[in-house]
Amino acid sequence: MNSIEAEISKMVSDILEVEVEKLTPDVDFFTDLNVDSLKAIEIVAAFEKKYRIIIPEDDIPKIRNLGQLIDYTKTIKKSDA
Amino acid sequence: MIWDKEKIKSVIPHREPFLFIDEITEIEGTQRVVAVKYVGQQESFFQGHFPGAPIMPGVLILEAMAQASIVLYSVCKPEIAQSNPKYYLSKSKVEFLSPVLPGDKLVLEINKVKVIDSAGVADAVATVGDRVVAKANLIFGIKIDTRIK
Repeated sequence: MNSIEAEISKMVSDILEVEVEKLTPDVDFFTDLNVDSLKAIEIVAAFEKKYRIIIPEDDIPKIRNLGQLIDYTKTIKKSDA
Repeated sequence: MIWDKEKIKSVIPHREPFLFIDEITEIEGTQRVVAVKYVGQQESFFQGHFPGAPIMPGVLILEAMAQASIVLYSVCKPEIAQSNPKYYLSKSKVEFLSPVLPGDKLVLEINKVKVIDSAGVADAVATVGDRVVAKANLIFGIKIDTRIK
């Protein structure tokens, strides 16, 4: 896990109050961790603030686990470059 | 004034004595709303908070911020707002910095952080004159169904 991945993992773990160790890349936010729209928007808002990006509303339901969130960050960062 | 109390009531479900914004003075696109609460001398909550030393309860300042946030939501998502959804406050991070007293003009500035159909995040600052009396970050939910689960 590189530093950005570790950073994202820590951020999500803090918001969801789930231990980092339990937040494996494929654990589903919605079905496994009971993330609702309030938790989802909290993650999105923190994420947008930290990385200065905008996650369109339609993309939010598509980001279902940590792995997808990390991949999303890489995609955005690549398109910024 | 941009919106009077009747217009406010057309988008938020709260009513007296639990309506804590009197007018909207600024709406900046879908990004920012400024609301005003004229804190009267005879507000019912002053009877008990506190006898002989009236101070507006901090939770009601927070409630006023939340109600102003609904107005912001309604300009972001007018179609959903018109369907009379239920609004509820979730996690809030708030600091109360200075007392609000009878006769104060409480100004509530709400800035959008993120709004989606079913939830919103906003930063709020409440002032009286030049004095910041409270700051908050609010997360609120919107439920179109009539029952909140």
